[in-house]
Amino acid sequence: MIELKMDRLEFSFMEVHPQARFSIEFQRTLRIPDDGTDYPLPPGLGRFPLKHVDDFAETLSSAWRSHGGVMLPMYRSEAMWLNFNSSYISERETEYPFAVKVATGKICAVSGESWSNGLSSRPQNYLVVPRQPWLDGYCVEKGIIRQFVAMPLAAGYTAEEQLTGAADVGGLQIVAYPMRREVFERRFPEVRQRFHMAKARSAMRSWDAVAGDMGLAPGGRMRQEIYTDPFDIRDWDQSASSRCFVHIANSLVWQSITGSAPPSPPPTSKQYAKAGLPWFEYYGETHAVDGAKKLGGLKSVATLGKQMGDVPLPENESVNPAHIVKLRPKLKPNQVREEVF
Amino acid sequence: MSTTFGNFIRLRREKLRQKDAGYSVRQVAGRVGVQPSYLSKVERGDEPPPSEKTVVALAKELGEDADVLLALAGKVSTDLAEIIRRRPQLFGQLIRELKDMPNHAVLRLVREVRDGEW
Repeated sequence: MIELKMDRLEFSFMEVHPQARFSIEFQRTLRIPDDGTDYPLPPGLGRFPLKHVDDFAETLSSAWRSHGGVMLPMYRSEAMWLNFNSSYISERETEYPFAVKVATGKICAVSGESWSNGLSSRPQNYLVVPRQPWLDGYCVEKGIIRQFVAMPLAAGYTAEEQLTGAADVGGLQIVAYPMRREVFERRFPEVRQRFHMAKARSAMRSWDAVAGDMGLAPGGRMRQEIYTDPFDIRDWDQSASSRCFVHIANSLVWQSITGSAPPSPPPTSKQYAKAGLPWFEYYGETHAVDGAKKLGGLKSVATLGKQMGDVPLPENESVNPAHIVKLRPKLKPNQVREEVF
Repeated sequence: MSTTFGNFIRLRREKLRQKDAGYSVRQVAGRVGVQPSYLSKVERGDEPPPSEKTVVALAKELGEDADVLLALAGKVSTDLAEIIRRRPQLFGQLIRELKDMPNHAVLRLVREVRDGEW
């Protein structure tokens, strides 16, 4: 079951295990320059507002109504990353694991393959949560992604249009599969009496305390690994999936659909870097998947714009992120943090 | 029904009046926009409960919940009636199903994100 709470999609699989829950939020961020340089991770500038499409059925297209799900507003000057959150289960000293598939315009962001039901391991077409703390774009090379940036559908830029030649779907598609209960209980036996649910300290990526149809297109390059599945593909309960279609509306039409104003536009990379605000690097310790050939062959928005004689990005100047904060995987509640020395 | 409503209003008003003389029949009637004699008759059950607008004003004046007072007056607020009129089958069925559910269960009612055809 998926619920929408505080602009988060909350997935729960009570039928599998009472603690099988996690949430996804869509973080707003700046567009990193699309200039061939590999950038560090940009910050989270707050959650995109999410609404049920059913609440605005009379103002939406029939395609959106039939897809169901939720919608969010996005400017062309901004980008998105997905933030995965799970609760720490103290008596088992772990979070409940999930396999999560993410597609844009029904093109898998990890494998580049067209949408299909179920999980595959060769090539891996999913992320493993909580091992994967976030996803910022398309896996184009091992350790490199191209940022998710919004472009109007049917202008030729989206991953969907570049790979299928059609602008039929747009948006984001997400499906989650929980680990099988018996596998979870075997792999993570109870190590102490059930005490209370403590929230794991998550690595934060914020610096301050922490219809027009749009589709997602590949933007600038960023250093981010997509981690391989440390479990067996049979460990996932593929009979218990929950999925959600996330529609993307141009911020300018959001107000006319919902009657509420979209968030104000984000700063540009240049403004952000100039203010000396931090960028981030994440050091996970696990193996990363190779980039998907199909995704590696995608042309970035800037490259494609140049070829089409279009200026798709109002501003795309290179920046030099001077202030980089290093992040490590979440610590368990009592784990001592180790730094580089 | 009307006696229950009248009684409730009178008890509530008199309780407030013990601390504040502004809760006399005359003054409350003035603030909700009715004649004192009319309010007096309503309190005694000699007149049926007043209009929705007056019940809502009374609720506000006496610090009571408008929906509760409307229910005592045998009425349903216009906005609720409108919600049901807009989707009569859905809400009719929903409300009948919720009829015997305990409060905590009703409060836990969740709304799933609807999945459609992709």
